[in-house]
Amino acid sequence: MMQGPLKPQFTGARVTRLEDARLLRGRGRYLDDIDVPGTLHVAFVRSNRPAARIVSIDVEEALAVPGVYTVWTAEDCGITMYTERYDVGQPVLAKDEVRFVGEAVAAVFAEDRYVAEDAAERVRVVYHPLPPVLGFDEALSDEGRRVHAHRANLFHHTEHQTEGFAEAFASAPHRAQATFVTHRQTGVPMEPRGCMAQLDAATGRLTVYVSHQSPHQFRSQLTELLQMPENQIRVIVPEVGGAFGIKAMLYPEYLVVADAARRLGRPVKWVSDRTESLLADAHARDNRHEVEVAFDEEGRILAVRDHVFGDTGAYPFLGFPGAVGEAGWATSMLTGPYKIPHVSITVDCVFSNKAPEGAYRGVGGPVGAQVQEGIVDLVARHLGKDAADVRRVNFIRDEDFPYQTATGNVYDPGSYAESMEQALALIDYERFRREQAELRRQGRYLGIGICTFVEPSAGAESEAGSTPYEAASIRIEPTGTVTAALGLGPSGQGHETTMAQLIADQLGVDVKDVVVMHGDTDSAPFGGGTGGSRSGTIGGGAALRASQEMRQRLMKLAAHLLEAAEEDVELVDGHAQVKGVPARAYSVRDLARIAYTDVARLPEGMQPGLEVVVRYQPPLSTTYSNGTHVALVEVDTQTGFVRVLDYVVVNDCGRLINPMIVEGQIHGGVAQGIGSAFLEELRYDDSGQLVTTSLMDYLLPAATDVPRMRVTHIETPSANVGGFKGMGEGSLIAAPPALAGAVSDALAPFGVFVTEIPVHPQQILEWVQGRVHSA
Amino acid sequence: MQSVSESAAAGRPKTSITLMVNGQRHTLDVEPRWLLSDVLRHQLGLTGTHVGCEQGVCGSCTVLLDGQPQRSCLMFAVQAEGHDITTVEGLTPEQGLSPLQAAFERHHALQCGFCTPGMIVTVEALLRENADPDEETIREVLSGNICRCTGYQSIVAAVQDAARVRRESGAAKLEVAAKGQNEAAGGEQA
Repeated sequence: MMQGPLKPQFTGARVTRLEDARLLRGRGRYLDDIDVPGTLHVAFVRSNRPAARIVSIDVEEALAVPGVYTVWTAEDCGITMYTERYDVGQPVLAKDEVRFVGEAVAAVFAEDRYVAEDAAERVRVVYHPLPPVLGFDEALSDEGRRVHAHRANLFHHTEHQTEGFAEAFASAPHRAQATFVTHRQTGVPMEPRGCMAQLDAATGRLTVYVSHQSPHQFRSQLTELLQMPENQIRVIVPEVGGAFGIKAMLYPEYLVVADAARRLGRPVKWVSDRTESLLADAHARDNRHEVEVAFDEEGRILAVRDHVFGDTGAYPFLGFPGAVGEAGWATSMLTGPYKIPHVSITVDCVFSNKAPEGAYRGVGGPVGAQVQEGIVDLVARHLGKDAADVRRVNFIRDEDFPYQTATGNVYDPGSYAESMEQALALIDYERFRREQAELRRQGRYLGIGICTFVEPSAGAESEAGSTPYEAASIRIEPTGTVTAALGLGPSGQGHETTMAQLIADQLGVDVKDVVVMHGDTDSAPFGGGTGGSRSGTIGGGAALRASQEMRQRLMKLAAHLLEAAEEDVELVDGHAQVKGVPARAYSVRDLARIAYTDVARLPEGMQPGLEVVVRYQPPLSTTYSNGTHVALVEVDTQTGFVRVLDYVVVNDCGRLINPMIVEGQIHGGVAQGIGSAFLEELRYDDSGQLVTTSLMDYLLPAATDVPRMRVTHIETPSANVGGFKGMGEGSLIAAPPALAGAVSDALAPFGVFVTEIPVHPQQILEWVQGRVHSA
Repeated sequence: MQSVSESAAAGRPKTSITLMVNGQRHTLDVEPRWLLSDVLRHQLGLTGTHVGCEQGVCGSCTVLLDGQPQRSCLMFAVQAEGHDITTVEGLTPEQGLSPLQAAFERHHALQCGFCTPGMIVTVEALLRENADPDEETIREVLSGNICRCTGYQSIVAAVQDAARVRRESGAAKLEVAAKGQNEAAGGEQA
């Protein structure tokens, strides 16, 4: 029905970001930058026991500290985040029992954070320790204690088997098995979580500022848990300093802050410190996949069996118990870009006395990809074949689309084989194989790892909730500038720029004349927020649809004023003109003025003003982006250190809105993948204490750990509006398997095959020392 | 001279200090335990200095202390008395962006922007000392500032570009200066 713009000027271009100037000047306003006089600052008293009954809590000494306003325990704030499906509730302040180290037990409200922390140290909690449950095996064993006394630790069990699996598996010429493990990791946005709330003195409404990915979902949750009318709550998400999934969750601290602001009648603020972040931000990964693969002489994979164990920690996050998300995504995407006809999948998720798991970029994607690429590499090694050749034998080909996987997904067209061939050419794979052999003779161990990923994006459901649509409102102001608002929750993805690019092209205006608002439930239309790689695709679709509708309005008005047929009118450079006759034109500014203030000139039936709200639900329930990552590493067998020497990415996320921003997302995801593969691990000791509570223990990749990456694009458009596919997570999905595979390849002469990440130098030394390599 | 006052309500002694920040003198009453980062942000309203870990690891709170990068979360405000402190606000022109900031914009060297002021401060100090740092040096210097979004690649590119622009404009200024002197000299001769 609608035509696109004649010449897209901004869409697809490397437009520099509209967000940048304020951020570079140090003028971004993040949560902790909001300072309101009279604010009470909160420090939480957190459990130092993984499992214990609370015998008593004495707050008297804390209350006596000068500057302390009050101290709350569960008796003062009894809100519980209850998940009916599992019959488990998390009290926002622990009640009767603590279930993980870091669980909030009491909240101290004071005139500043220093005082609040002083007083928090004086809250005396007497615990009666209970034996902690710390892993899947313990949680599942008959002797294991129950984390929640009223219910079993196993809270989620699913089985899925394709018809004919048993026969296909039994009759295959070859079988191999491996157990893949990804340890606990987390998102670590550089800006810690935080929340501030205050009652509006004039209206009595509650304003809640929060560093979050989904303002409307957050408001809905507050509405329910605070039992307040939705229109009495305004949620404002200021500048967000990174989120990566962990800021899509609802946390107990936020409810304490919001409840306190309305009941104490004072502004209340809490900002997490880094230790609290590592203790109580959503954790992720922490799962084990016991895998068997059946294959033929050519390396064709015939059947895969996978038994997944996931540990979600002490409580399910509302709407998103992390272990279920992890296992669900991993097993759903288990066959990746390969034609694997049969699967048998069993999932077991348990509660434990560790921090609750939620979303972290990619959710189960990296783990699923580790299994998917792990089995291909395993097959190659068993058969003595080249890893790229085994992939070629198994790829879903162009003629197979739409392709239904054995796990039930329907893939829209992608470029799986093509992306791998291009990536191998970029890294000069054949030459590398020759050099690799020569270098091994010199005692140097280099390896290449390949991951061809498929990323489900823009799904109807994600950690951002189940909102299968996005909304965009567009208003042309009386002076002709454009104000748009979306329900997204960006945290550095540049939506103010990409959405403006799409809108500017439709309206024929400069990208700089479009302001994109988000994050304030008073101005943004109800939307799903940001998560699950949905914003560019669904949000972009909404922005396109809304601006197309606005364009139609402008054309109709211009045609009427110019006394021309609508088909004869075009929008060029901020003017609506009779095609090819710039002299007969109205500027968008003139049209806007007329629409608002000279309404007698409007065509009959046209509403005054220029404002539209459009909700867009994509035709595809999911659109799949894809690509191939190839990592080239050198392993130092003396020190155990791995150096990434080269890294190439061929990415296909359909039509690109802004290649510069897409590449930035990829670079960042690869860096996080390096962390995931080699550095990042949340380690609990045998007594249930988290021992990685600083960034000196939980190691993030630094500039010296990340190589220069080369990124190129293929564009296989989606059938969704605009042809966009989501791409926020694919790079973190693909990088860990590519890097782990590269280490396996490098150390193949020692018989090493990596199945557990992160890989630490000590492990590498254990693997190679005393073993004569077999090259 | 420092004076010690006692807040009756709080019972916590405050000290009067004078801080030189971005060329401006500020006299403040602070508790001796207040971190420089907190005082910059919450007493002086200079919120461009960000606090990412308070463990001295992430580098988001980096400021210049007498021209040298310093973690403002690892020192007390009282320790900063008598030193010249420069924050990102002090490295930002009245209008628009500094050449380094502009290079960050051109190269998409920031996403969420939280680590960015610390990066700008750290790199500004580098470029004042080293006009032509190689990539290894740049990465080594940046290794004290964690960025979780960009994978550093675009930051390295921005620093290289900013160094080039700085060298060229520096060279151009020298040329202009030299040319001006020659012309002046020639005029005298004539």
